[in-house]
Amino acid sequence: MEIYLPVAEMSVNWLIIIALGTGVGFLSGMFGVGGGFLMTPLLVFTGIPSTVAVATTLSHVTASSMSGALTQWRRRAIDFTMAGIMLIGGVAGTLCGVWLFALMRRQGQMDLIVALTYVLMLGSIGFIMLRESLATLRAYRSGVTVSRRLVHRGWIQNLPFKMRFRQSRLYISVIPPVAIGFAVGALSAIMGIGGGFIIVPAMIYILRMPTNVVMGTSLVQIIAVTAITTVLQATSNFAVDIVLAGLLVSGGVVGAQLGVRAGAKLRGEQLRLLLALIVLAVGAGLAWQLIARPADVYSLSEGVP
Amino acid sequence: MKRLLVTILLLFSGPAAAEDLVSGISQDVVQITSNYTGTDIVVFGAVERAAGPQGRNIVVVVRGPDEPMTVRRRDRIAGVWVNSDAAKFQGLPAYYYLASTEPIARIAPHDALVRYGLGLQALRPSAIGSHHDPEPFLQAAIRYHQRVGLYAESPGSIDFLSETLFRTRVPVPAGVTRGQYNVEVYLFRDGEVISAQSTPLFVDATGLERRLFNMAHDAPLSYGLACVFMAMLLGWISSVLFRRPG
Repeated sequence: MEIYLPVAEMSVNWLIIIALGTGVGFLSGMFGVGGGFLMTPLLVFTGIPSTVAVATTLSHVTASSMSGALTQWRRRAIDFTMAGIMLIGGVAGTLCGVWLFALMRRQGQMDLIVALTYVLMLGSIGFIMLRESLATLRAYRSGVTVSRRLVHRGWIQNLPFKMRFRQSRLYISVIPPVAIGFAVGALSAIMGIGGGFIIVPAMIYILRMPTNVVMGTSLVQIIAVTAITTVLQATSNFAVDIVLAGLLVSGGVVGAQLGVRAGAKLRGEQLRLLLALIVLAVGAGLAWQLIARPADVYSLSEGVP
Repeated sequence: MKRLLVTILLLFSGPAAAEDLVSGISQDVVQITSNYTGTDIVVFGAVERAAGPQGRNIVVVVRGPDEPMTVRRRDRIAGVWVNSDAAKFQGLPAYYYLASTEPIARIAPHDALVRYGLGLQALRPSAIGSHHDPEPFLQAAIRYHQRVGLYAESPGSIDFLSETLFRTRVPVPAGVTRGQYNVEVYLFRDGEVISAQSTPLFVDATGLERRLFNMAHDAPLSYGLACVFMAMLLGWISSVLFRRPG
């Protein structure tokens, strides 16, 4: 059951890796997130070097997202105009993120900054989603019809360069989508994630896109960002392991399909509640790692950066 | 340096020593294939003109290629564990295995062990980059390698098949680095090295594994694009396969 990974230079049990890929793929299909924020820590836990884990997870995210996006596309649940506009910011953000990555590594506090960013983001996003989805569920149970606010209030409505996004039934400025795309692209390069857990809430709560379009549109955005980052990681760090990627992807695409089916059976706010709980759990786990006494206060990395 | 010492020893210890050593290894190339999970090599040898087992010790050392490494120490600052200090080492082996007839500290005095680099406590990096005392960092590096099975000392693991014939098994685990390894066999008599032999051992990937590794380093752009293409293709295939009829 063991297989040798040529770039990671180690053997792994391929059944475990495929199971990991399937499980994370299921979540990714269900929620429209890439699952990188789960996969990277899990791979590191199985003993794969963190550079390889970060770089190779991106392929898994690409594949799961591709599989999910095609299913959403057949349902016509993708806003390509929105995805295209966001991608303009996304490409710029990715390049900027790679530059930031190198800068932070020279400062020597890369790990801490990444971990703190994760905890802060997962914590705040998870909390906001949890509160909102619980409120909606409670209102639904008590029989009150909640009317979704389709009109934006305040500054977002006053920004210039307005565009019509027909699929999302929105008429808003292109500045917020480009800015969100940029932020997610930068985070993707720094943290080795697709950024779905940031895009999805941002689309729902900042852009106010309908939930059914959010899934497909975020997947398209994630495919593009992770594909670019994979190539950048392969050329600059030689850290992408194609055998590991193949195993993860094989499990991931199957999981993603099952996840999309499962997700279609649940209501939007139920999905958001579940995702909020997962996001909070991962955030809490990472926060614990920061404050708990490590088993060995010394850590070793190969090479002299 | 250590290899040089061994060579010098080989040149000058010949006629004067009563006892001599011949040794060999079961294979001089370890091939890493797709189902490689580690293997054992057998190091064997014989003591010529043996003068009895009393006071005689055999030490077998396998060293991997040198590997630069950075060790960081975390300290608690404002409740959070932060990397606060680091030491960089050059010249420590990526793999180190020592088999001996007795615990190495009992075979020879410490300075002799350091001279030949015998035993984990005798490992000395050739260059250290640190502002502080590097010793705890060096110990941490040794501890880390022991934990993952790349450094080990195994006293009492040399079997004598007869008065003069010995052999030992050396594990080559799955996590080893590719490159040239050195198998060194030492014959000690009353705490002094009287004979030593060094044989190279090559660890390398073969077939598909080697081609993939080479491609990742020689043609990274095509390799990266191939990864993306594979991911997209598998994603597409799965969505077609799982498409519900009608």
